[in-house]
Amino acid sequence: MYKSAKTTRRKFLLGSASAIGLSLNYSKPAIANLSDTKPYRSWEDLARKKWTWDSITHSTHGTNCTGQCAFNVYVKNGVVWREEQQGEYGASSDAPDYGPRGCQKGLRHSKYMYGKQRILYPLKRVGERGQGKWERISWDQAMLEVADKFLDYNIEFGPESVTCGLGTQMVMKRASYASLLRFANISGVQMPEAFAGVGDLFTGAQITFGHVTLGNTMAEIYKSKCCLIWFCNPAVTRIPDAHFFWEAKYNGTEVISISPDFNASAMHASKWLNPKPGSDIALAMAMVHTILKDRSFDTEYIKEQSDLPFLVRADNLKYLRETDFDTPEARDNLFYLWDEATNALVEAPGTGTPTAPPGTPEHLIKLPSIELAGIDPAIEGEWTVETKEGPVRVTTVFELTKRRAAQHTPEMAQEITGIHADIIRQVARKFASAKPSMIYAGYRASKYLHGDLLQRALFLLLCITGNTGKEGGGLTITNLAKDDAVFPFALSNPAAAFRVATLSRWDYVHADMKELNRDAFGEELAEEMDKYFQESVDRGWFPDYSKVPWKMGMFSGTNAAAWRSSGKRWRETAFSKLETIVSFATDMGITSMYSDYVLPIAHHYERHDFHLEPRTPYMQVIDKAVEPLGESVDDWTAYKRLAEAISKKAIERDIQPIDDNVIGVPIKRDFKKFLDDYTKNGSIKSVKDVIQFLLDNSSGIQSVSYDELAEKGFLRNKGSETTVHSKESPYYSDIWESVHEKRGYKTLTHRQQFYIDHEWFFEFDEVLPRHIDALVNEGYPMKMIMGHARHGIHSMWRDDSFLLSLQRGEPDIYVNPKDAEKKGVVDGDLIQIFNKTGSFICQAHLTSGVGQNMLYMYHGWDPMMFKNRQNFGAVVQTAGLIKPTSLAGGYGQLGWKPFAYEPNHTFHDYTCDFEKYQGV
Amino acid sequence: MGQVAMVMDLNKCIGCQTCTTACKSLWTDEPGQEYMLWNNVETKPGPGYPRYWEEGGGGYDANGDLNRDGLMTTKEDHGEEIPLNHDEVYFKGVEVQLQQERPMVKGSNWDEDTSSGDYPNNYHFYLPRMCNHCTKPSCLEACPVRAIYKREVDGVVLIDQDKCQGIRECNKACPYDKIYFNYVTGKSQKCIFCFPRLEEGVAPACARQCPGRLRFVGFLEDENGPIHELVYQWKVALPLHPEYGTEPNVFYVPPMLPPTFDDSGEFSDEPRVPTEYLRSLFGQEVDEALITLQFEMERKQEGKESRLMDILIAKEWKSLFNIPNVKIY
Repeated sequence: MYKSAKTTRRKFLLGSASAIGLSLNYSKPAIANLSDTKPYRSWEDLARKKWTWDSITHSTHGTNCTGQCAFNVYVKNGVVWREEQQGEYGASSDAPDYGPRGCQKGLRHSKYMYGKQRILYPLKRVGERGQGKWERISWDQAMLEVADKFLDYNIEFGPESVTCGLGTQMVMKRASYASLLRFANISGVQMPEAFAGVGDLFTGAQITFGHVTLGNTMAEIYKSKCCLIWFCNPAVTRIPDAHFFWEAKYNGTEVISISPDFNASAMHASKWLNPKPGSDIALAMAMVHTILKDRSFDTEYIKEQSDLPFLVRADNLKYLRETDFDTPEARDNLFYLWDEATNALVEAPGTGTPTAPPGTPEHLIKLPSIELAGIDPAIEGEWTVETKEGPVRVTTVFELTKRRAAQHTPEMAQEITGIHADIIRQVARKFASAKPSMIYAGYRASKYLHGDLLQRALFLLLCITGNTGKEGGGLTITNLAKDDAVFPFALSNPAAAFRVATLSRWDYVHADMKELNRDAFGEELAEEMDKYFQESVDRGWFPDYSKVPWKMGMFSGTNAAAWRSSGKRWRETAFSKLETIVSFATDMGITSMYSDYVLPIAHHYERHDFHLEPRTPYMQVIDKAVEPLGESVDDWTAYKRLAEAISKKAIERDIQPIDDNVIGVPIKRDFKKFLDDYTKNGSIKSVKDVIQFLLDNSSGIQSVSYDELAEKGFLRNKGSETTVHSKESPYYSDIWESVHEKRGYKTLTHRQQFYIDHEWFFEFDEVLPRHIDALVNEGYPMKMIMGHARHGIHSMWRDDSFLLSLQRGEPDIYVNPKDAEKKGVVDGDLIQIFNKTGSFICQAHLTSGVGQNMLYMYHGWDPMMFKNRQNFGAVVQTAGLIKPTSLAGGYGQLGWKPFAYEPNHTFHDYTCDFEKYQGV
Repeated sequence: MGQVAMVMDLNKCIGCQTCTTACKSLWTDEPGQEYMLWNNVETKPGPGYPRYWEEGGGGYDANGDLNRDGLMTTKEDHGEEIPLNHDEVYFKGVEVQLQQERPMVKGSNWDEDTSSGDYPNNYHFYLPRMCNHCTKPSCLEACPVRAIYKREVDGVVLIDQDKCQGIRECNKACPYDKIYFNYVTGKSQKCIFCFPRLEEGVAPACARQCPGRLRFVGFLEDENGPIHELVYQWKVALPLHPEYGTEPNVFYVPPMLPPTFDDSGEFSDEPRVPTEYLRSLFGQEVDEALITLQFEMERKQEGKESRLMDILIAKEWKSLFNIPNVKIY
């Protein structure tokens, strides 16, 4: 923090050249010195005085918006007055620079932090849950009471009976995140993961590459020659970086928006394609078909980087493996190619190597080389191979892919998508010829039941055009910072690891989702889905949560009850079963409203922390501009107080250590030592010590003290000369290394793997990607489409009175005027949206930006803002629909792996209907 | 005398309202200013803010005489910020649904993304608006007490808050409805082009804080600056409603939307935004401007150089601000 240097008003001299070399060469007479302005007007000084301040702090908003924008936070008279972007960043290679970043939410925070939704003191519920009746209590009392319950549940039911959800206010603040993980390691609480939990996990990437961290910086868009914006609306959801798209367009890049709704990104695109909602796989596969038929694919790339040249048996359609031959100790992960150079069968380089033991940290996994070293694999043809069962015909994955693609001709795709076949061909050809070509993908794809198939189709499109792993090419979605400092910090006892629960599956067993399936899709489908769910557990592919009692829920920086699908049903099933609910939060929302204890957490400008987000190559400070309001504290301190209370109560009650086992290693949990363990015997004194540990031990960032970082605001990361993340950067660069250094992928075939010969994939005909018709609920014609809000981040800032004044003051939904007319609905009417499983009410906003039989709504609106406290979660009838192939295991990259392979919550794949709301 | 000016590239505006919010927190966060947005962004076509401002009259007639029949805008035409019942719902438990204390009927951005035409050939775009700091400010001419003046040094049009008597003739005279009456102080107020910042070499908040990088700030006369190039050399930056006769100093690069579809579903040559509509906003010159933009963009697509595209790309963010002694903060 430093005082403003602004003490005197500088002369306004237009004639003089500026210090930074800006030359002003006027042909008109020189402009007068301001002091010549006559007459002197004293009121102008009042305006000048308004633009003054006492101090500036560099900080940002620790939310998961991927912006991490550097702000100057201006403090005047002891309160935060306003904020302005810090501004000047550099650029990556010759792309436009990253400045100034920021958005309206960021600029509004100075007011919102003083809003009436703010939680100022520890509260204990005195009325019914959700009633809003509280008693103000002290932190001491709150923590001791919570600690007592925590101990009771631990002793009777074990540590896994307590969950600790961490949300978007928390996960991107590195030190807060590390603190909570440390508490989780010490205590053994279940942490429901919220990647697949919110339906964001790119399972298709895990299937294809063996990992889900694909993204580069946003500046990479500028390096693309053809950029498909697919399943997202970055003009609304990536406000600080959206400029890169339009700058690329001006620079000659074809920017194509693919979206059923005409949104702010479509508006500025070179072309807009409007597939019917949920029909995108057909479009992608028709593009694949066009490129294969044109033979405009990148043969060399395919041969080296993909499984497309791998041999497959024609009889059983399984990969040809070493186990097909009479070889001693034959390996089932050794695959074959047909070498055109020698016209003979050869082992595929890099296959057959032992797999890393489970639990090996990502960055330590050794991967074989996939260099072809003289082999020239055939991609097309059929041969006979002598196996232990006799001669067998074999062909390539490429041949099978051609056949699969031929089931998706542009004409067929036109029927499904509504996009003219000629346009599909035109775009496919542009995509194949423009090098590099990119798909800027949104998370919306993962929210469809068959999102993984779409993602696999997109990766196939990128592979055959040789684009994945090229600067300006490939699919870009978010990347994750390596946790090489967070884990060492958080793992007080490495053997205790973390208990991470897959949220969709957790809710399936704890929120009666089989019931929901029965209501929505009937008995038969519900039983069918349940059969796969159980079988996956029985075969040890995914863990069993059904025997885990759920007694206590703690929520940190997450408004889980706002977004858990099925809405009120979730509150009435899972949430109401919890005996104790504790919320650590900055602001009130539905989760806190239904909690038994609410603890006040410091807001962004009242705390120390830092951010590492991959959209820009910068590390960003979160610094304290003012003292926390009321009795709010940062997350480190909150969990320290809880650990302290647990230790105190354990000593008081003389509670002996309990036995536990998370990863197959027996451990003891000693409650009396929680505080000492959490603070490393008192050596970690504050969150600043946590930050410094992380700064000292994270790879890819500059060596810096927290105070230096705070003084600068942001610092450039290492390895950011180009727009892609290099090995030196703090982010994973697996794709880059695979493509450029020929390091094998983390898949069974060590290639980009499009062919999955797992038994369940055969059963569902998903061995290769294909279009599957979206589920339609007969009699409910309206397809719901949702996306991130423009005027909020998730459920944050949604109840800000100013931002609401820039909307309609309440939740609204986009309706096509023709649909509205049929129902007698006019703009501004309240409508009821319903299907078999529920209904909710909100305002109709008529716009022809959506087509007929579509409804578009921003997600994240808190149920508190709706009648009956029921938001769109009510009609998400797919909440319990857990895709069986996403539960498959026992196969290379498949099988339960948190943040990599687990079923997404299916938030968007359903239909509904609406009518004018008749109530008041 | 110099004239400070702004060019806004509508092909980069994403309607995020960061400019609106930046202005609000700096200049209009005091009692009496709740409904004021000196800078706003509205969806076009649409009634805008205040609603139907284009029908309110003002400006000059064909003979260059002041139109005396302009309508006075009200708070209700603008819509204002309304507090929510947070306390009643969250902490007192006396109300159930979190909502505004009174229902919002219309707002400054009520028609956000309300599209015109039929899907999928519908159209809309975002139009940021502020005081145009006109060369012939009708507000100035209309003020009976000469409280409004145009600064010689930079051409910024200001209302002297000491002199203003709240007569509101300026409000009626401004055809852009960019003058607001402060119901607490009883004075008229409006955008001041952030003159205190300008004097320090810092661009106005709306421009300096625009993440879309679409606002160029500079002096019209500066032949080396992007404003001069865009307005006079390339002729792609046009004033809004030039027919109002006030000679605005805020200029717009007109929007180019993606192609429409014909009846068979193929791309059509029919522009998405009817040219007639764009002419009604920016005058006949919009035709030539769109041709130039398209031509220059195609040059880039063919791998050729284009000075115009490079200006609009503005690789270096700071290059948008061509003001004396420019600094970032």
